[in-house]
Amino acid sequence: MSVLIVPVLVPFLTAILLALLTGKPTTQKALAVVSAIGLTAFVFWLLRFVDTHGIQTMVVGGWTAPWGIAFVADRLACIMLCLSMTVGTVVTIYTIWSVEPRQQEYFFYPLFQVLLLGVNWSFITGDLFNLFVGYEVMLIGSYGVMMVGATKPQVRETMRYIAINSIGSTFFVVGCGLVYTTVGTLNFADLAERTARLSGEQAALVTAVTMLLLVVFALKSAAFPLFSWLPDSYPVVPAGVSGYVAGLLTKVGVYSLLRVFVLVFRQPGHELALQVILVSSGFTMLLGVLGAMCQWDVRRILSWHIISQVGYMLMGVGLTANATVATAAVAGTIFYVMHHIIVKSSLFLIGGIAERVSGTQELKRMGGVLDLAPGVAGMFLVAAMSLAGMPPFSGFLSKLVLLRAGLGGGNYVVVAVSLVTSFLTLFSMAKIWTYVFWGRSEREVPAAPYRALMVPTAVLVVMTIGIGIAAQPFLRLAADAASDITDPRAYVTAVLGAPRP
Amino acid sequence: MAAVIGVMFAAGTSMILRPSLIWVVMGFGMYSNATNLLLIVCGGYAPQWQAPFVGASAPGTPLMDPLPPDIILTAIVISFAVGALLLTISYCVYLDSGTDDPEQLT
Repeated sequence: MSVLIVPVLVPFLTAILLALLTGKPTTQKALAVVSAIGLTAFVFWLLRFVDTHGIQTMVVGGWTAPWGIAFVADRLACIMLCLSMTVGTVVTIYTIWSVEPRQQEYFFYPLFQVLLLGVNWSFITGDLFNLFVGYEVMLIGSYGVMMVGATKPQVRETMRYIAINSIGSTFFVVGCGLVYTTVGTLNFADLAERTARLSGEQAALVTAVTMLLLVVFALKSAAFPLFSWLPDSYPVVPAGVSGYVAGLLTKVGVYSLLRVFVLVFRQPGHELALQVILVSSGFTMLLGVLGAMCQWDVRRILSWHIISQVGYMLMGVGLTANATVATAAVAGTIFYVMHHIIVKSSLFLIGGIAERVSGTQELKRMGGVLDLAPGVAGMFLVAAMSLAGMPPFSGFLSKLVLLRAGLGGGNYVVVAVSLVTSFLTLFSMAKIWTYVFWGRSEREVPAAPYRALMVPTAVLVVMTIGIGIAAQPFLRLAADAASDITDPRAYVTAVLGAPRP
Repeated sequence: MAAVIGVMFAAGTSMILRPSLIWVVMGFGMYSNATNLLLIVCGGYAPQWQAPFVGASAPGTPLMDPLPPDIILTAIVISFAVGALLLTISYCVYLDSGTDDPEQLT
């Protein structure tokens, strides 16, 4: 099915066009919005199509898999594409008003399209080396949007971000090379089939090699102990884009962990990686939320919360080590990813609005946004409650599914840690609420116009309520996507054709 | 060959840990070259192996596996781009703050 290239091709062409249109801001904005909305409609259609007709594949250049470059759209990939493009569209619309002329001059819109291109590419690829290429495109886009405007703190933090990610990328290539030497292929489906047949020393060797990939993906998803790069770098991303960066980039890491460690590597002893992830997840959750509690800057608090939330998703990935609850755990993770991307992006967008209203980022000086902009306060309340896991929002259900998988597998320690984390998250959200929304403002009127920004943000807030109340179709989709991942037969058949003798 | 790669990775690591951005950038150069060498070793190499073109060599002659060189080419392109970006940003940092010691940036 050759339309699978569309999620990669559209941002690519749009980026080129937008770069050529530099200096014509209105045309640029219109084109970016049209392209994003069009692609969103397409990926939702693709999700529907894949859901009814099964996994779709495409191999570039007329080769046959596993030799050609494979693009594979299964349910998980489509869900991630939908999330990526929904948030991408919302952020594109938000930036119509939030982007500054100086940022516009520095190729803001083309760079954002490059970011979308990289993220979509990482989701739809069916090949380990292509995943690396997708990562690199995504990273170069993210360096760009992080630097855009080039103020001093931006340059400094971007430098660190590039340094740490370049180390990660180096190890990724090394990992690809070693996997190719030990297993002889890089195609996901082929790897899944071949690793399942390994035994003894060969299997142990592959497990050792995958540890390198584990480090890479843990770095991208900001898992313990590799999270220290995140809280410094995310706050310098311009408001608006930070919604996309915060929502999607670490989740690409989580997605890769899910794809590679649950679907692809199935040699005897592959559970070791999952157990490492499980242990790391507990620390990630707890340290993330503790880090958030001692910050006094809205963006930093929210950035630390990303780390703690990634911990929940990693917990889901780690729980698959126990085969009896594997499908439930993966379903919980996928549902959690859906919830988290929407809520986290909306929180960053709301944080951006609150900064515009009060004219500062410092928590202690913000105060009184409730009086100045009651609508913003309402949206924050919904998103924050959802993040902390209060019913009836999506956060409650996603945590419930994960905790049930955890209890079913007998992992009581990590379940306890996650409950404590959830409580502390509520505390931390209450802190933002108290300092930002309550109290008296120093100003009579908002520091900058903000009303237009509320429209795109409200879309995400409504979605979190929707997923919480009408959860059944989403849970069903997550469960189906999970069974595609835990049982690779459908995936392998879709890519490689009928099973070989 | 393995020893050479090991030494290159060790040298790259020690350079990246230096408190100076230009050393960090050079460390990455070292890393990416070490990676490319490692990929060559992964693919295997012998002088008598032929290039894998259809119909270019007699049946039965050993052929080179084309995938590792492919991967190396892609990796070179990417590391080149990222290297250029890193150099540019290091220079920006130097222009902005007059030092290339990351510890002294405020």
